[in-house]
Formats: sequence, structure tokens, C-alpha cells
Amino acid sequence: MKLRHHIAFLLFAVLTVVLMSCTPEACFEETNAFLKATFYSNETKEKKTPDSLSVTGIRMPDKLYDRQSGVQPCLFPLDASSGTCSFVIKINNIKDTVIFQYSSYPHLVSKECGYTFYHRLDTFFVRNNSFYIYRSSDNVTTANEENIRIFY
Amino acid sequence: MRKIYVYFISLLLILDLQGLLAQDTVLFPLKVRAGIDLIGPGFYFSDRDNLNVEGFVSYDKNEKMAWVLEGGFQSYKYSQYNYDYNSRGVFARLGVDLNLLKPDKAAGTYWAGIGLRYGIGIFDSETPSLYHENYWGKTASSVPSKKMTAHFIEFAPGVRTEVFRNLSMGWTIRLKLLLSGGGGKDLKPISVPGYGSGGGMTNAGISYFITWNIPYRTKTVIIIPPVEPEEDEDIEETEESTGQQRIGF
Repeated sequence: MKLRHHIAFLLFAVLTVVLMSCTPEACFEETNAFLKATFYSNETKEKKTPDSLSVTGIRMPDKLYDRQSGVQPCLFPLDASSGTCSFVIKINNIKDTVIFQYSSYPHLVSKECGYTFYHRLDTFFVRNNSFYIYRSSDNVTTANEENIRIFY
Repeated sequence: MRKIYVYFISLLLILDLQGLLAQDTVLFPLKVRAGIDLIGPGFYFSDRDNLNVEGFVSYDKNEKMAWVLEGGFQSYKYSQYNYDYNSRGVFARLGVDLNLLKPDKAAGTYWAGIGLRYGIGIFDSETPSLYHENYWGKTASSVPSKKMTAHFIEFAPGVRTEVFRNLSMGWTIRLKLLLSGGGGKDLKPISVPGYGSGGGMTNAGISYFITWNIPYRTKTVIIIPPVEPEEDEDIEETEESTGQQRIGF
């Protein structure tokens, strides 16, 4: 290989690297870690999708679900800047408040997407015991993994 | 008795010399090399946030194999709308270069082969600011600087040619496999010195080295000439001499 071949190759390599550095990067991954809840019938203990579901975060103006049907599972976003989150849940005509307590930690999704927050579920309460909640998994991540079961 | 020993040793030396004379030999210069990479500094001119400086020394064990030690420094900064990231550290790679060219073709001037390396990167990884937004609003946080150690292996095919006396140039493609990136599963480093993007288990890179060669010894390498089949020659000779053709059914 002669010197001019080396120089040509070097120029080609530099050009390739420069072009690669200009390639736009896009994020295609899930960046939100939701607490995933599946609905079950309290009578049959079988999976049962509510006819109507409304969910609102306490002191939040917007509803997460507004009398929606066919929601299974329900995705609860948790507040990473606080160790607790409360939601008013209305399943069909039964309404109650659920409080989640958890710890949060940053997780790198990818270079393109940046960071999200994962959570570790410590405990939860249902204010008026209108629903029974069973814990499936403590780890609230972007993975498609059930965290709790709500029996109504 | 002493004369008999001298006679036998002399006889052995003569026999050995005759054996050598019966084969082709080449004088192969074994070298110590030192080189620097041109790609990293070249890339720095287009991206001032990413500096990678690396060099290597190698020592020819024989005409086929050389021990290689590579080392370098990387400073990396990355910023986008939802986070800033810095990493800074050093790396080293230790391994071998295997020359696939025959000694008479290589002649100490050309090298085309594969390199195998084990690499280690020791670096500081920091995310000074990160933002995440969801239903509850925007959360700001940071990940403080943490010292990390990464381990990787490389398969590095390439070529090298002596373009001037004792000065070589050549490129190496680096196919890398990350064994351990440091940072655990949640805070993987975005860039690992010596490896590159820390997000994936595999990575690829390229180096273009300018190398200074210092010959330290000349080795006589025996070349085994290709043995030509004798039977074919006999058959051809027979065919030519007889002027007949064999016909197969």
C-alpha cells in the first residue's frame, strides 16, 4: 500500500467519522416508569376490566383517566421529586383514595433518551378500604411488569 | 576421546548447515514500535467536546507475533435537552498482533493481520444535571462524579506499511465486546475511555496509526518452498514424449 493510498484512506475515515457525528439521534424507547395495576374481581378473583375508570392525582388539575372503559392495566405515574403520591380512583361507581409510598432513583435509558426515574414501592394505603390491593412487584420500571392487583 | 567429540560436533554442524542451505531463508528484522493515533485528534477538530488521544508500543516476539501495549486518555462531554454528561479517564489495552503475511512477503515492512486485546478503562463519570417530566411536572436531579472501571476485549484486524525508512502508517478496525461497563445496570456510563459508547455490549471503532519502527535484531527465517507434485510432471513428460492422449470412458 503506497503513501497516497494511506492518505486517501485517512481522508475517507475522517469524513466518515464527521458524517457519523452529524447523524441525528432519536429516542425510540419508553422513558416513563409507570406503576402498573391490573384489575380483578373481588368476587370471582378473576381478571376483570372496569366498565368505567377515572383516576386523578391529588392536587392535580388534569385527570389521568376520565370515565374510560377497557383500561387494563392502569398506569400510575409517580412523582420522583416526592416520596409519596396519592390518586383518587373511581372504578365504576366506587370511589376511594390510594396512597403510594416509594423511593426513586435515576436510571439511564439510553444516550439518545437520557434518564428516567425508577421507583421502589415501599407501601400503599386505601383510605376507605373500598378496594383490596395485592402487591406483585416492588420494582417500578419501564419494563412491562405488573406491580399491583386491585380487587374491586 | 576429545577428538571424537570434536569430530561429531563438527559433523553435526555441517549436516545442519547443509539442511539450511537446502531451504530458502529470509532475513526478517524484528522491531520495537511506537505509534500514535491520528483519528482521535482529527475528530477533535470537528467536535471539541470529545478528545481521544492514544498511542501504542509493540515488541516483535518473532516474525508472526508481536506483544502490544496501547494506552490513552479520553475526555468526553455530551449535552442534550434533558441532561448533561461528562466522563474523563485513561485506558490501556494489552494483547498481541498476529501477522498473517508470510515472512518473505512481510519482510518486516508490511503487516496485515489481526490483533487481540484485553482493555481496561478507569474513568470518572458524572451527570451534572438531568431532567425528567411526567404527569406530576418536571423533576431535576444530578448524578455525582463516580470513579468507574470498565473491562472489554477487542478483535482488531488491520494493515500497516512502511512508507519511509522506519516510519509506518496503517489502520486498525476495532470490534469490541464490553465485559463490564461499571456503573451497574442503572447508571451505565455513556462513554467509556478506550471502548466508546457504553450503552451497548458491542461497539466498533477505527484507529489510524503513524508508527516509528526501531529494528533490534535480524532473524533468519526458513521459508519452506512449495513442493510441486512430481507425478504430474512425469505424466506431462510422458504425454509429450509419446504424443498420445489418454481417453477415458
